[in-house]
Amino acid sequence: MDIGRRLKNARDAIGYTLEKAEKESGIGASSLSEFENGKREPKFSQISRLAEVYKRSIDFFLTDKLPAEPVMLWRDGPGSQEEKKETEAEFRRLCQQYHKLEVLMGEVKRPRFHEPDISKAEEFSFQRAASFAGELRNQLCLGDIPSMSLRQVLEERFYVKIFHFGFSGSAISTVSEEFGLAVLLNKSSKLWRRNYDLGHELFHLLTWHIFRKVSSGKAEPTELEEKLANAFASRLLLPADSVRERVDTAMGAKGKISFEQIDEIAREFGVSLDALLWRMVYIYNMPAEEIQRYIERAKSVEVLRRPARRSDIPDDLPERYCSLAIRALREGKLSLMQFAKYTGISYKNAQEYLTDEEGFTDEEISISIA
Amino acid sequence: MRRVSRMKKFQFLLLDAGPIIKLFELNKWDAFIKKCDVTIASTVAEQEVVFATKEDGKDYIDLLHYEKQNLIKVIDVDASVVKDFYDKTSLTGKYDIHEGEEETLAFLCSSSQSWRVCSADHVVFRVLGKLSRSDQAISLEELLESVGLGPPPAWKNLNPTDRDWKYTKGFRKRWTQKGREDFIQDQPLV
Repeated sequence: MDIGRRLKNARDAIGYTLEKAEKESGIGASSLSEFENGKREPKFSQISRLAEVYKRSIDFFLTDKLPAEPVMLWRDGPGSQEEKKETEAEFRRLCQQYHKLEVLMGEVKRPRFHEPDISKAEEFSFQRAASFAGELRNQLCLGDIPSMSLRQVLEERFYVKIFHFGFSGSAISTVSEEFGLAVLLNKSSKLWRRNYDLGHELFHLLTWHIFRKVSSGKAEPTELEEKLANAFASRLLLPADSVRERVDTAMGAKGKISFEQIDEIAREFGVSLDALLWRMVYIYNMPAEEIQRYIERAKSVEVLRRPARRSDIPDDLPERYCSLAIRALREGKLSLMQFAKYTGISYKNAQEYLTDEEGFTDEEISISIA
Repeated sequence: MRRVSRMKKFQFLLLDAGPIIKLFELNKWDAFIKKCDVTIASTVAEQEVVFATKEDGKDYIDLLHYEKQNLIKVIDVDASVVKDFYDKTSLTGKYDIHEGEEETLAFLCSSSQSWRVCSADHVVFRVLGKLSRSDQAISLEELLESVGLGPPPAWKNLNPTDRDWKYTKGFRKRWTQKGREDFIQDQPLV
């Protein structure tokens, strides 16, 4: 594919008109049109500027082979198509940068998750989603409070790319033949919301091959699929035995539990009060209408509002991503300027990470384990 | 009286962002461009140097101001030249360099002139070594010495852990050597 066609594809993918691209890049709309139609060759500096505007790596315009564009699955996306496409473009760029770092360091790893033994979407029941959550919780060794370790286990042990930044929506997930499994969570969401979103998106990632065939490019989940993902997330984050043990202890002999106590248990499990109440419907076989009434009443209880904590705010970039970038820099595979760009820090600060100490990675200072 | 124009020391010299910024920091830029014919890739001049110096609320280095006065030359390379560089060198997946560095190296490899590249980036030197062009790499220390502008005395005793180590001959030698090793390792076994 020629550069002109790539320029057109990149502009279409982010949903920009020629006029919008002109405004963002400072390159005239008529020049852009000529580049796209192959009537004039762009300068490299212009390609570089357009790569920035279209949120693409320079490789996209210059390499011959390109992987297929990943399908993005949204949870509570914005109404505006432009906003949607811009967010997708930023998320895709981060995932591709992450993948490039993995390639540089020879650490491209594909996770092996436990998979549901189902091949057709219509065979997926709520019962299967629940048992699948339990099986996965065991495989991931998430323990009694799964939300505490879920993100870290997915990132470090199963190489799922999890990014955070502010956008209109809750979450996006994607499975790409190029960079693997990835999730974007809204940095502005509350911690319990992000935990739940991650559980929900994990269901989509692991059942991707069941609910959407790669060739179809269909991104919209059905209502049933969303409900199954919610059921999965609920069971993944709230193990029945652990919840029952905490609730029974709080109730004591009284056989009653206050909103405040339930809210405290929800905080421990890293979920919302609503999520815990709904989980109790199944664990204690309570009528759903009763829980619905409690949820309505809980909304008016002032004492349940908690101030946000600084530790609740996640970093934009995954720790493994940053670690790969630092190692690639120190091993002379990633340039300083590129390192600054990838990690979103200034050139001046980036220099602090460049140590050129010979022997740092040599056997001389390695630890011998007999 | 006849005026004799003095030939500048380096006629084919490409500067990367790091040395440019350092020359400004050392207040040697103006003296330096009087002694050398400086050429800078457009992406370095218009994007990298601006990005790297725009922080801290300070005025950024505006190299186009020097270009307008014909004190330096800024080259704008065709995209196809960089594409050729991509296709011929197959560096993708082994090294990841910024666009300005790519434009500089692509121009160097496409030119019939014997250009020298002054950089303070280890990967740029490594790639030059890999492309068997180590002799076209030069450090800022060597450059200042050869044009009589004297590198800061402190650079004589720098260690690899020092921040300014990347401007020294030792740094340039270490990373071009590493690139040469990459070249040898990549040779097919006969």
